[in-house]
Parts: sequence; structure tokens; C-alpha cells
Amino acid sequence: MNPFLFLFRELLGAIRARSALYFALMGLFLFIFLALAAAFFLVPPSISADNAADGSLPIEEIQAILSPRLSSATVDALYLDIRGRSDVSRVAFHFAQELVSGASGGVFVIHPATSSVAQDLVADLRIMNGVTEVVERRRQVDLDRSPLSTAARIGLLIALVLAIALSLLFARSGYRELLRDFAGEIRLLRLSGISERTVIPLTVGIGILIGFLAGLLLLVILFVLHYVMLSQAMSQPALDGLADGGRILMISLVNLVLGLVLGGLIGLYGASLLSSREFRPIP
Amino acid sequence: MIQVSELHFSAEEGIKVLEDIHLRVEQGELLYVVGPASSGKSLLLGLLGGQLPPQRGQILVHGRNVGRLSPEKRLELRQRIGYMCQGFSPLDRTVHENLLFKLRLLGNFREQAEEKALLALEATGLIRQQAVEAAELSSLDRVRLGLALAVCNDPLLLLIDEPLEGLDADERGEACRLIDRIHTGHLTVVTATRGPLPDLTQERRIVHLVDGAVSE
Repeated sequence: MNPFLFLFRELLGAIRARSALYFALMGLFLFIFLALAAAFFLVPPSISADNAADGSLPIEEIQAILSPRLSSATVDALYLDIRGRSDVSRVAFHFAQELVSGASGGVFVIHPATSSVAQDLVADLRIMNGVTEVVERRRQVDLDRSPLSTAARIGLLIALVLAIALSLLFARSGYRELLRDFAGEIRLLRLSGISERTVIPLTVGIGILIGFLAGLLLLVILFVLHYVMLSQAMSQPALDGLADGGRILMISLVNLVLGLVLGGLIGLYGASLLSSREFRPIP
Repeated sequence: MIQVSELHFSAEEGIKVLEDIHLRVEQGELLYVVGPASSGKSLLLGLLGGQLPPQRGQILVHGRNVGRLSPEKRLELRQRIGYMCQGFSPLDRTVHENLLFKLRLLGNFREQAEEKALLALEATGLIRQQAVEAAELSSLDRVRLGLALAVCNDPLLLLIDEPLEGLDADERGEACRLIDRIHTGHLTVVTATRGPLPDLTQERRIVHLVDGAVSE
């Protein structure tokens, strides 16, 4: 084992209950920071009046108008086919007269599992045999009440700053406790002619480890939420971002990297305590 | 081995601590620097050990000018110098673990570190106490452990600062005999102490450091 790994193991071994508690709190607030940052990316942006006008509002309901010539057996088969799709939340058959007076034949009223899969579902329905027309009914959105209001965004930003500040505060206490418990070893290190800069990568390593764990925890939680949302076929505008697995993976990985970087920076801050009066060697 | 010439050192307030020191210590020599408290003994040892650079004058250790070494080179030199500081306090570990920690820190593999630790424990007479918590050691055994830590990595030079502090007359004699035993061979040893030195048979060189100046 090289001296760095040996010292790192020794430093980790010097973590006592008190410093462990501070580091756990530091990790918790780092996790909260990352979760809040992820929320910014996951909650869909507010819909502007322009977007609403050009049809980019989420599709809430799809009406697939059936040919009046279809036999009841064919309609049944189509119904079962559509109901069996994973991108369909629910489907109901209506006579066309119920929706449009004077019309004939039947209509499937389909609710997509999430708004993100609705567009593909519409395209599939359009090429389905027996479907003569597909009508998209978009969600009526109150433009002033987007999933995340301006006030909520400001609140989120304040929470972000608070989370990182608290994380730093607990990191300071944790590192101070740890360096106190490791003071004898650091003194011996100095006396043995080993630069105290050797300790810097060790404290940075601890920060990176905590940042990694916070990022990893967020990744796991986001994927659990993603699968819960898919299995429960929930459709909430504010949670639409959770339905897209690829997006979650990307956001989780970005957060993991962010966790590593923030952890490393916090570790550097911890190392800076070594030059404080408390830990400076007596000349 | 050690050549000090025209060495001056002043404290931050401008008080002269060391003034025009000239000193030569031969390879394998055992030197005692004796002087009252605050006479600059620890400072002299710190300068010899490369812990801080000289303000004026020259210190040559093994042919290397300590004042002109880059910080990295000075650290390299310090790793080859065994140093027992005044008021040495061991780590909260067993005697054996104290030694292993230092040896592993200096890049020794586990087996190599175990071997060197055993040799140092044997040399200082601590072999039977290797499993004892260092905090439970007597004052004399603490000195033994400090010396074991200083010599465990085969240093070129051994600097011992105030090893007799807090010891009674018998223990002082024992500590000096231990230093004599460690010195036997090629190792150059410089020991700073307030004294008085016990009467021992082995011949040794003593210099006095008073008011910042040395005299034989």
C-alpha cells in the first residue's frame, strides 16, 4: 500500500462519532443541494403564451375516430390492442354521437401514460387500420400557473444557497474535529519531514467520497421515483420530467459530477483549516 | 558531517537568539549541546535538522547547504534526519503501532516496516512493551519510544532535544546510556539538554550554548 492510501485509511480510521455526525450532516445538505438542482432540470419550464399558441402544450387526451364500417369484433380487437400498450394509461369506447352530434361510428378516448409519450402514440394511432382520424386534446394550462412559479423558483434558489452554506458549516465542524483527532499524526508527519500538503489530497478525498455518496443516493432515488411513476401510470405536469429515463440518467450523472466537484472543493476548504492558528505548528 | 559557520538567528522582535555560531561535528560523533532554558538549543537543532532555514550564515549537513536547498530538497533531507522533539508525546496507539505509523508514512512496505520497528524496539529496550499503549508508558519509556521513532528509519543524523526533562537522576543516567548505545557505530548524534549530565564512562564532546554563543 502506498503512503497516500495508508494515510487515507488512517485518516478515515480517525473519524469518531462526533466528526462522523458532522460529515453525515454535510453529506445530507449536499444531497439536498443536488436534489434541488435536479428539480430545476426535471420540472418542465413554464409555458409561455407563444408556446401555448403554437401547440406545444402537453397532450392530455387523444380521440381516435373509427371507421363506421368496422365490425364489432374488429373494434374489440383494436380496443384490446390499444389497452395493452405501455404508453396508454386508459382507454374508453364511446359512440361518435356522444361527442359530436350527427356523427356515426365509434371513438376511442385515450389517455397517454405521460405527456412525453403522447406524440408517438398519436403517430401510431394515425397509421392504425380502421382509424380514420386522430384528434389531440391538449391540456388547458393557466399560463400564470406553470408547474413552478417564479416565487417557487426564487424559493428554490434560496434553498440551494442555504443547503450549500449548511453543508459548508457542517464540513468545517467535521474537518476541525477530524484534524483535532489526527493532530498527533500530523505533528509526527511534520517532524518526519513530510510536507503537510500531503494532508490536502486526503481531506479532498473525504469530501469527494461524501459528494459521490450524495450524488449516488440522488441517482438511486430518482430512478426509484421514475419506476414508481411508470408503474403507477401517474400523469402530473410537474412530474413529467421523471417519466423520461434518458433525461433522468443524464441529470443524475451531471449531479454525480457536481457532487464530486463540490465535495472536492469542500475538502479543499477543510484542508485550509490546517493553516489556521489552531493547527499551525509552534515555531 | 555537520559544519556550521557564522550562523546568526534573530527572533521576530529583533532579539538575537544565536550569534556567530561556529560548530563542526564529525561523522559518528556524539555531541551534547548544554545550555540554560531559552538559550537557543532547540532553535539550533531545528536549524541543523532543516526545520527552518538560517537567516544568516551557513549550515552544511552531509555536504548540503541547508539554507540553499529548495523546499522539496529540504524535506528530502529532513526525512533522512531522526528528530526527537522536546516534550515528545506519542500517538494514542500502542508502542509498536507508533513505530509502524511513522515507517509506513515514510513509504516502507508492511514487512519492511515490521522489521525496522523490531530493530528500533530492540535497540531502545522497548521490545517487551511493544503491545503497551504509549500513553501508559513511564517517562523514561517515553524517551525510549521517542528515540525509537527517531532512529527507526536508519537516519544519517540523530537530533535529540531535551531527552532528560522530567526524569530523576537514575533515569537520566539510563537515558544517557541509551543514547550512548544508539550512538555506537556510524550514527552522528547531537543532543541538546539543560543538564546536568550524569557522570558516565563513555567519552563524549560537550559544547555550551550561553547567550547565543557556543563554547567548548
